Amino acid sequence: MTDHISEAVSWCLAVVVLVVSVLLTRQRRITAGVRRRNATLEESLRARDEEVRHLVDVRLPAVADGVNLPTPLPGLKDEKLAGTTFAQSLHAVMEQFTRAVDKAQTRADASAKSALKASMRALQGLAHEQQVSISQMQDRHDNPDVLRDLLEIDHANSQFGRRAQAIAVLCGSWPGRQRLASSLTDAVRGSKSRIRDYQRVQVHSLIDVAVVSRAVEPVVLAVAELLDNAARHSQPNTSVEVSLQPVHNGACIVIDDAGVGMDGLEVQRAATLLSGQRAVDVSRLGDPPQFGFAVVGLLAARYGFSVSVDTRSPYGGVRAVLFLPSALLTHIDAGTRGAAGAPEAQQAAPAQPLPSRPTRRRAAPPSPAPGSAPASAGVPAQAGPPAATYTPDPAPATAPPAADEAATSFGVTAGGLPKRRRRQATDTPGPRPVGQPEPDTGSHRVRSAEETAQRMGAFARGTRSGRAAHQENAPHPEDAAPHSEEGNRQA
Amino acid sequence: MSPGRRERGLVRPYVVTDGRAYPTRNTFDLVTLVLAHTDRPLSGLSPEKRRVMELCLGGALSVAEVAGYLELPVSVTKVLLGDLVDSGHITTRSPIPPAELPETQLLQEVLDGLRARL
Repeated sequence: MTDHISEAVSWCLAVVVLVVSVLLTRQRRITAGVRRRNATLEESLRARDEEVRHLVDVRLPAVADGVNLPTPLPGLKDEKLAGTTFAQSLHAVMEQFTRAVDKAQTRADASAKSALKASMRALQGLAHEQQVSISQMQDRHDNPDVLRDLLEIDHANSQFGRRAQAIAVLCGSWPGRQRLASSLTDAVRGSKSRIRDYQRVQVHSLIDVAVVSRAVEPVVLAVAELLDNAARHSQPNTSVEVSLQPVHNGACIVIDDAGVGMDGLEVQRAATLLSGQRAVDVSRLGDPPQFGFAVVGLLAARYGFSVSVDTRSPYGGVRAVLFLPSALLTHIDAGTRGAAGAPEAQQAAPAQPLPSRPTRRRAAPPSPAPGSAPASAGVPAQAGPPAATYTPDPAPATAPPAADEAATSFGVTAGGLPKRRRRQATDTPGPRPVGQPEPDTGSHRVRSAEETAQRMGAFARGTRSGRAAHQENAPHPEDAAPHSEEGNRQA
Repeated sequence: MSPGRRERGLVRPYVVTDGRAYPTRNTFDLVTLVLAHTDRPLSGLSPEKRRVMELCLGGALSVAEVAGYLELPVSVTKVLLGDLVDSGHITTRSPIPPAELPETQLLQEVLDGLRARL
């Protein structure tokens, strides 16, 4: 009996042990699996944590820093995460951030540029006004001491104007002044006027090509920046040599300095800026800002000339070459010294609508003329009889034939006044010594008897009626008297 | 509107005179006449000086006229002319004195005579 019991118990025990061992094994396997899974999850969580930290520490700052630089952005730190939803979300975050940064940058740049542009335009206007008044002072004062001071002020003002203009151009403005087509030599000397060490700049080989009107100011500004660079980066006792060379497709302005030169990296940077391809960020020009090449590049791209600085000068410094294509060149010499009035008229015609300074200045004197002419004509008309001596217009009769011819051949000004010009150098020396001494005076000329009598009659009538008018309307004696006198003197 | 005129504001006077404000000689007046010597070579002269020579080849011009044609201030023109005199390109001459005018009394008599006749 006890045997049965013990057998049964042992069987039971065996079964229990078996079950327990099976369960234990299973449990152990499950635990191991859970632990492994746990470890994996932990690992992955850590990886994501690290990835997020990487995003915050490295990737987003890289985006913020390198908005305008074409450097590749850093990718995921852990390659295992690639392709997961998490990685995609991170990518979306990056993109949004990049877009936001871009937008903010663009907005900041635009507002900085517009603010700078507006203030520089104002300064440019002031510099220009000042230049006009300095020019007037130079005209007015004939004292060398005053002139010396004025020249200094003028020089400082020109540099000031150039700086303002360069910054304004960099901010997307136009160079600001429309000029007449000017010779290349004048353009280079205009640039020379705008830099500090202008006395060190030597301009050689004058060629007779001219720059078209719309390109004058940009070329002057670009060359001024190049000259300024050249003079600034060379010893004060060296000279900056400028030569002008006609080439097949246009003309070149070659600027050589004897300065320190540029190393490979600088040349590369300069070439990028000079190509004008990349948008210039105003806030990234360094401190102090170096906008010379950036301005030149912008102007070159906008107006179609090209600039290169990648050759070494024979003097050891940099050789800058500004190439002007034929489209930007013209010839003005044909009209300048020739006797023909037609080229002059053609030249003057396009200048009329342009708001250039000389045009305005020249337009100013004729404009009061039409107003004053009727006024002066009205006074003798009101005075009555003196107009009789005045209106026959004896001017053509007394004027020497040369002046007459000059008046007809050179047309009239905008104000209706006859244009007169000095007789050409070639024809003056010929006739004068031969037999007609001084055709200008008119004192010796013989008039016909009728003409003389007519004049005398007019004279007498004029004086008589002048006296009558004087007695009649005593309040205005000064109106009639000077004009009749003037008319008589002309007759 | 004279031919060959240039942009006035482009080349500033200090570039024209190379920074000098004092003429090398103080003999110029507004009406001093300038005469060019044709036998001198023009090479090496600045564009303004060349233009002075071209202007004066036709005959004598006064300093004021030269300044007007060059569109430069008179004082700047004097500096240029001083250089040209030094280099022997031009000579200067004082202006011809104005002719003496007849007396007022004589004119009055002529006027009276004419009136009596007409």
